Amino acid sequence: MTNAKPNVADAVISIRGLSVSLAAKSVLDCVDLDVYRGEILVLLGGSGSGKTTLLKQALGLAKPTSGSIRINGVEITSCSASEMVAVRRRIGVAFQESALFNSLTVEENVALPLQELTRLADSIIELMVWMKLQAVGLVSAAKLYPRELSGGMRKRAAIARAIAMDPDILIFDEPSAGLDPIVAAGLDELILFLKRAFGMTILVVTHELESAFHIADRLAMLYQGRLIAVDAKEQFLANKHPRIRQFIDRQPDSVPGEAAEAFIAALAEEGKHEN
Amino acid sequence: MTYLEQVRRSVIHRTEDVGALTMQLWVALWKIPRILPVVGKRRRWLAAVEQMLAIGVSALPMAGLMSLCIGFVLALQSGAELRRFGALEYVVDLVSISFTREMGALITAIAVSGRSASAISAEVGTMVVTEEMDALRVMGLDPVEFTLAPKYLGSLITVPCLTALCTFCGIFAGYLFLAFSIDMSFRAYFQKVFETILLRDVWLTIVKSLVFATIIVQVGYMQGLRVRGGPEAVGNATTAAVMKSTFLVIVADLIATSLFYLMGWSAAG
Repeated sequence: MTNAKPNVADAVISIRGLSVSLAAKSVLDCVDLDVYRGEILVLLGGSGSGKTTLLKQALGLAKPTSGSIRINGVEITSCSASEMVAVRRRIGVAFQESALFNSLTVEENVALPLQELTRLADSIIELMVWMKLQAVGLVSAAKLYPRELSGGMRKRAAIARAIAMDPDILIFDEPSAGLDPIVAAGLDELILFLKRAFGMTILVVTHELESAFHIADRLAMLYQGRLIAVDAKEQFLANKHPRIRQFIDRQPDSVPGEAAEAFIAALAEEGKHEN
Repeated sequence: MTYLEQVRRSVIHRTEDVGALTMQLWVALWKIPRILPVVGKRRRWLAAVEQMLAIGVSALPMAGLMSLCIGFVLALQSGAELRRFGALEYVVDLVSISFTREMGALITAIAVSGRSASAISAEVGTMVVTEEMDALRVMGLDPVEFTLAPKYLGSLITVPCLTALCTFCGIFAGYLFLAFSIDMSFRAYFQKVFETILLRDVWLTIVKSLVFATIIVQVGYMQGLRVRGGPEAVGNATTAAVMKSTFLVIVADLIATSLFYLMGWSAAG
């Protein structure tokens, strides 16, 4: 499916034949996807295309109907709880709604995984938290609570918490949703910086085209639970699949106004016959 | 057929509820040692202390006042009848026995259910909606250990204490009534109270209050976890949490009291 296929052994996330059905409805249908080490893969898709479900699967938050997901070589659909914890330690996630703990300050939010999962001394944790906040440019907001932050700052705080444990894999769910263009652009630069500086493998789920084309090494497109394209940026832009064209060219599905007019015209026609 | 279908579904749902609740309780109990001071993690113990303040200490004014009022009402109602037989001092027996055996634990449970079952389900429901629960799991932290267990331990410690204080408030209301109506002295009243109440009743009440605390926290947490969708679902969950926990508290009270009766632990003396 992919064109320029690098070393397959170096796939950090490898999804094969993943199908998910919820309430007898197929949400994901036989999805194959690889995310290679050190790349930024952007997963595009409209609302209800199954991208959130795919993300939940990749994080092991839900079990698939069938298929396999290997992360760093560990099959997470059938591994033990302790293996799952080990896998998750290598993954940082920035959730859509940032999912910061509201009862903790920004600083405490970032420190939480370090305090809970490592045996580091408090002074080292403090230093690491400062470094992470420095990386996302939030040192000045360290003592604030999440509710006191703006949308963009909250996302940055979520990223700081996601990279707290120095993960290999970073996953973003809709990083720029609900942000103004300037803040969204800043976030894109931050994502690129994380890739450059830490060599992280980054998976971004979004429907914001501009930011997607700016940051992506490769793009994948989900449509009605199927992966209809996985390609490098240039090939993806040249893809002829009608749904992809529609998505890139921002064309609506069907215009409700037109449908209504046709309906009214049909009614008028009927009226004429009756007279 | 459709009616039978409805009954069948409702039975399955209730059974599922009980099953889920039991599993959740088991997991929470399993995690309790990690919350305890010294053997567990210090941070969890501090979280539990915070919960003790939220669930127990701040419920004290409301629960205490409720007990005082109900105790006084009980004394007034029984006093009106007993006065006709010239047996007004039996108000002491009535109030102290009914509070140590029943009212103290029940009033506390209803007050805590109204305050904390709703608060817990709202807090947990919001955490589900804002993906905080997912964030915990993804970070490799156990949501039960992190959120449920401190609340559960906090309630297991404070609800019995609250019950004891409420029982005292109710009995004290009896004293107020008798002090106003027949000028009974504080000393005489409480002497009579201590002649009347049984230590066994106090123990049984504490057992009951532990059961009530379990129901309130577990039901509140479960309703919160079941929130799907947006903020309006959180509102529904809080309502369901208060309704279900209050109902289950009363059912559990009936079951426990029947059990004590059958075991012959209810007879005086």
